[in-house]
Amino acid sequence: MANPKNYGSMDDADAIGIGENPQNGEKVIIYLRVNEKDGESPLIEDIAFQAIGCMTTVVAGSIITGEAKGIDFDVAEQLVAVTLGMLENVAPEEAACSEMVALSLKAAMDTYSRRKEEPDLPAMIYKIENNCVTENSDNGGENR
Amino acid sequence: MKKLLEKTHEAWLATLMTAFMAKNAKSKQTLFEFSDIMFRHFTWIEHDLIVRGMDYDYDRDHIPIKVERLKTMTDNLLSRISDLELLTIECEDENLRHRIESDLSYISKVIASIPDESVEAFDMNRKYGDVELSREATDALTLFLFEESYKEYELIMIYNYLKAHSDDEFINRIFQIMVDESFFHLRSFCQMMSDMGILGVPRVIHRSLYSVEDMESFLRDGIEEETAAKEQCRELSDAVAADSEELASFFDFINYQESYHIDLMKEALEYYTSSKSDK
Repeated sequence: MANPKNYGSMDDADAIGIGENPQNGEKVIIYLRVNEKDGESPLIEDIAFQAIGCMTTVVAGSIITGEAKGIDFDVAEQLVAVTLGMLENVAPEEAACSEMVALSLKAAMDTYSRRKEEPDLPAMIYKIENNCVTENSDNGGENR
Repeated sequence: MKKLLEKTHEAWLATLMTAFMAKNAKSKQTLFEFSDIMFRHFTWIEHDLIVRGMDYDYDRDHIPIKVERLKTMTDNLLSRISDLELLTIECEDENLRHRIESDLSYISKVIASIPDESVEAFDMNRKYGDVELSREATDALTLFLFEESYKEYELIMIYNYLKAHSDDEFINRIFQIMVDESFFHLRSFCQMMSDMGILGVPRVIHRSLYSVEDMESFLRDGIEEETAAKEQCRELSDAVAADSEELASFFDFINYQESYHIDLMKEALEYYTSSKSDK
């Protein structure tokens, strides 16, 4: 919590993806720097994230981006799938934070891939299904 | 100028964090005063950027603070100040540049003389003085301090930004009170974190938080959040009440302060709403 890994923005990101909680406006933004060689799955050379949300989201972001750094898109897709799969047995309010991080990673990879055909495509935004009802409030911690 | 703003932002926070680490009362007080001065430099540079119509944000680099000796931090501060002195060349306003340079010159001399001491702000002891808290209460307090230290930093930056971009005397009075109150809360929470060996720099805030487009919606959400924060303080007070009357009373005090913040935000909301209906 004191020092989340990969926290911050990235000026020269190749793609950005956003995971959003439509219930309360919480967001996770993931920045990717990608290295792609012909015929190979793109490699996540560097990754950063920012969270507009609670501490649990920041911790989830630190763990998931730590896992995603240095792997290629194929493995990262598996990481997203495994993360989302694990959340099926977790209470929705606890699952929301990790879901938001996993979906933002997926959105960043999809943005990267789709930009090959649509170079001006803005950062894709995926909305989560689990509802994060925190003790704090249900308006996302954006102002306080 | 944007680089100067960013590096002043970092130097301000690094100085503030060093103040929390210091156990020597005189060193602590000096570092707090200097961090206040650097925050003022930050607001002056920001004002200059606004006057010149330059776009800017509150992004900054990671600030490493996990040290074992205070001297490592004071040396780091001196290096940051040297960098700032070089960057002041970006300041076209000569008076502003002279003011900042003069302050920095004195600050660096005093920081160089701060005595070294061991740092315990990162030992993860998770104990607050002589208070014996249960595991559950310790966990609740730890999470609260991490969440709220960030939130107070966020509030300082949001209200500072709003104030910097408003010339409305009535509303700026409210924003300034909110900045001052948040500074007090930030100091209280970060000092507790340092005492408990879990000090951390609040994370960078996203631009969408302070670049507010709909002020009324921002204030309405803010009132809801302050109300939720009041409840969180009350729950925390209950959680620690059995173990520490001192801590329970502190969180009750913070809880009552939130009521004042809610009143101020309601006042601001009413002002905005009536100004809009007058047009």
